[in-house]
Amino acid sequence: VLRIETKAAPRSLDPSEALGDPAMELERARLSGLLFETLVTLDARGEAKPCLATAWTHDLARRRWVFSARPNVVLHNGQPWQPTPRSLEFPDEQPIEEILRTLAKRQNAIVIHDGTTAVGTGPFKVLTWDAGKTAVLAAHDGYWGGRPYLDEARILMNRGYAEQATAFEAGLADAIEIPIHEVRRQAARGGRSTVSELNWILALIPEKTIAAPIREALSHAIDRTAVHSVLLQKQGEPTGALLPQMVSGYAFLFGADRNLAAARQAVGSTSPMTLSYDRRDPLLKPIAERILLNTAEAGISLRMATADAGADLRLAWLPISSRDPRTALEDLGNLLRLPLEGASLYGIERALIERRSLIPLFHLPVAHRLSSAVRGWTSREWPLADVWIQQ
Amino acid sequence: MTFRTKLLVVSSITLAGAVALTTGAVSILTRRAFDRINEQRRTALVAQLQKQLEVQSRDVEGKAQRASAYEGVFRLAVEASRAAPDLSAHYDDARPLAEGQSADFLDLLQPDGTIISSAHWPARFAYKNDWQIAPEDFASPTAFLTRVPVPEGKAAVAMVAVRPVAVGEKKIFVAVGKKLDATFLASMGSVPGTRTLLWLSPQEVLDANGPVASPDKLGSLATQAMQSGRRDAATIQWSADRYDSETVFPIPLTKRGTALGVLLVATSLAEQLRLERSIVWTGVLVGGAGILLGILIGWWATERITRPIASLSEGVRAVASGDWSARVPVSSADEIGELASSFNRMTEQLVEQRDRTVQAERVAAWRELARRLAHELKNPLFPLQITVENMKQARDRHPEQFDEVFRESTSTLLAEIGNLKTIIGRFSDFSKMPTPEFESVDVSALARDTAKLFGPQLTAEGRVPIELKLDLASEGTTVPADPEQLGRAMRNLILNAMDAMPGGGTLTIRTTAQQDGVRIEVSDTGAGLTEEECARLFTPYYTTKSHGTGLGLAIVQSVVSDHHGRISVHSAPNQGARFEIDLPARRAS
Repeated sequence: VLRIETKAAPRSLDPSEALGDPAMELERARLSGLLFETLVTLDARGEAKPCLATAWTHDLARRRWVFSARPNVVLHNGQPWQPTPRSLEFPDEQPIEEILRTLAKRQNAIVIHDGTTAVGTGPFKVLTWDAGKTAVLAAHDGYWGGRPYLDEARILMNRGYAEQATAFEAGLADAIEIPIHEVRRQAARGGRSTVSELNWILALIPEKTIAAPIREALSHAIDRTAVHSVLLQKQGEPTGALLPQMVSGYAFLFGADRNLAAARQAVGSTSPMTLSYDRRDPLLKPIAERILLNTAEAGISLRMATADAGADLRLAWLPISSRDPRTALEDLGNLLRLPLEGASLYGIERALIERRSLIPLFHLPVAHRLSSAVRGWTSREWPLADVWIQQ
Repeated sequence: MTFRTKLLVVSSITLAGAVALTTGAVSILTRRAFDRINEQRRTALVAQLQKQLEVQSRDVEGKAQRASAYEGVFRLAVEASRAAPDLSAHYDDARPLAEGQSADFLDLLQPDGTIISSAHWPARFAYKNDWQIAPEDFASPTAFLTRVPVPEGKAAVAMVAVRPVAVGEKKIFVAVGKKLDATFLASMGSVPGTRTLLWLSPQEVLDANGPVASPDKLGSLATQAMQSGRRDAATIQWSADRYDSETVFPIPLTKRGTALGVLLVATSLAEQLRLERSIVWTGVLVGGAGILLGILIGWWATERITRPIASLSEGVRAVASGDWSARVPVSSADEIGELASSFNRMTEQLVEQRDRTVQAERVAAWRELARRLAHELKNPLFPLQITVENMKQARDRHPEQFDEVFRESTSTLLAEIGNLKTIIGRFSDFSKMPTPEFESVDVSALARDTAKLFGPQLTAEGRVPIELKLDLASEGTTVPADPEQLGRAMRNLILNAMDAMPGGGTLTIRTTAQQDGVRIEVSDTGAGLTEEECARLFTPYYTTKSHGTGLGLAIVQSVVSDHHGRISVHSAPNQGARFEIDLPARRAS
């Protein structure tokens, strides 16, 4: 049995159920990915790989794409998964890459509603579900990819870093989330920790419209390198882009170096602004304070907001939901409530940044602390299907 | 205002004043007593403050020493001593150290003051420490007060100690601070009615319970104390309730002449104000009751005191109205009784004196009358005697001429007898001055008419001319008068003036409207009168002229007196004379 604790607290596991909050839907995806599968998935390079569909071809009239269902797939309730052929046919109205990208989205996972229960085909099935608090997942013995090593995964949700650390020290948890800057310290102490791929963006998000020169001044004023070296303990990477270099390939075009002179020149005279952040996140406080120190040097009047509501700027996380840049940008567009505009991916990303006056600061992974018994935890988030407990 | 009322007012004012003075004196003494108590409390609190600062100083020095001896700090010093140190992994080292030492502030510093790690402000790594630590402070073995900036532009005043950690020749420094905050203020203990506040900035004022409401009220006092270093106490009223007031005594916290903040020792004035108010209200009540009682007792006492004075006053009024027989009862043997006895004796003596004077004047008048009569009658009698003797001698010696002599003598005798009759007639007239018959008389018109009668005489041939000047008011000169008698008085005055100017001169007749009547002035430029002559001028039968009966001015005075007026003369030798008659606008009842 693997005991995991997490800050996330999704209200539902059903990927087809709209939560109304893209961020929460992305958080839910980590759990639901263990339960529900899509026809295809995207690999680290964004290329489609078979999952519940083993192949896809045109029909004879070349008007539809026909996906071949994986044989011998058993649902969590023990019933075989037998999709009617029609449901696996898609009109050839878009390029196949686009169709595959759409099918790989979490919300397009295969969910069978058995009464009030959502049944999937994933490696785990739900044993107990207390929304936002506890989830107990059991291994799906009939999983087509082979039964997981774990018999059971007990997940405690809505747990702060301190609570998780206490539980871990007490031997009540096998895997917990840790602030990213703790990774280096854990390593120095000989503890086991892993970091995921870069799947989070830490950015300054204006809550109110700010002028382009002010955004430029703020971006130039912040010493990302110092924050990355010290406060983030060299985890992740400084950035001025939304998508990491390894995802988009053009992130270097968005400058991230500090230029105090340019900041002072751009700022002119500004009215005082306020900054807020999630005070439950221990990583954000020193970064926010450092931003205040940096901007003060540039002559920008920025102070900490006394309340989250009404602040001019918010230091917050944005998810990188996919290795596929278009999918990731689409999700970001949904999250920021902005339609995608632009001919190229670079143009789309530039437009998102400028229209929303975003100031991306860092791309960061998620870090987990693992007990010595946990094995097989890769850089993917929650790779529970591959994890086992060494007795 | 009657004497009795005055007595009552004076006694009431005296009583109220005494109560007010007593109340004021008690209030002042009370305030001074409170001031002394407050001073003692303040002194005790300041002594306690010094003691607590000493304790805090030793405590911080100990914390700094222990922190500098910590193994992790030594490892950091080792890392820092390397040629290319990577200090990024140590940016958070200060926090557990500070927690372990219960320090509010702990910075790990490079020798140039660059922050390696800051417990209270981790984001300040790589910035210079700005705790107002001077280079000499790095070598200071003792703790010192300084100002420590904290996030959000705020600042704290802290007791800070700095200790070096050396690896070879390379050093890092551990700066440990314990802030002066609500806990520190609470640790000083409490003296009843007194509290200690710490002013850091206009928005940051603390007491033992935390942030103080309405910190702006202390801004002026604290700023002044910071700037001037003076310790001038001030009274702060925290709310509309005046009892919510304190006397605040500032103690600037300085470091080498730089103000760090202000400790404020505040003493509540509520107790003092309540007592002062109680004293004032007691004074008001006692004073009010005293005044009421004083009025009652004063009323009774003054009635007893003023009763003989009232009798005396009544007696004086009776004497003034002519009742010289008035007497006042003597009801006591004190000063008032003595005054009443003296009054009675005075009136008795006045009556006796009056009788004697009347008698003497009567004798003198008779003598004067006899003298005047003798004088007046002697003149015509002497020609009568001569004429009769001439007739007798003519009859005896020259019978043939007797008839002629008889005729001449008879006419002479008749003339002289006529003179005698005239003289007797004048005396008779004076004795028979009629009662005036009042009517409205324009005095200016009467004066003009009267003067007109004398026009020819003033410029008659054979005498030096006299210039007549009339200066008559045109309005407000109508008074009730008997025109016949008043005209007669004017004529007498004009005749008198003409007689006074045999060598010519100026006769001036002037009338002026007065506030309550009319003034008539008749003045000449003659030889004038001596002071003695002026004094006797209106005495009947007194004259300064070789001819005349001496009744003219007496008649004038009689007329003026009958009109309830007043006559006076102003003169000096060689300066002429001026007669003034003041007549009232209303008849006396």
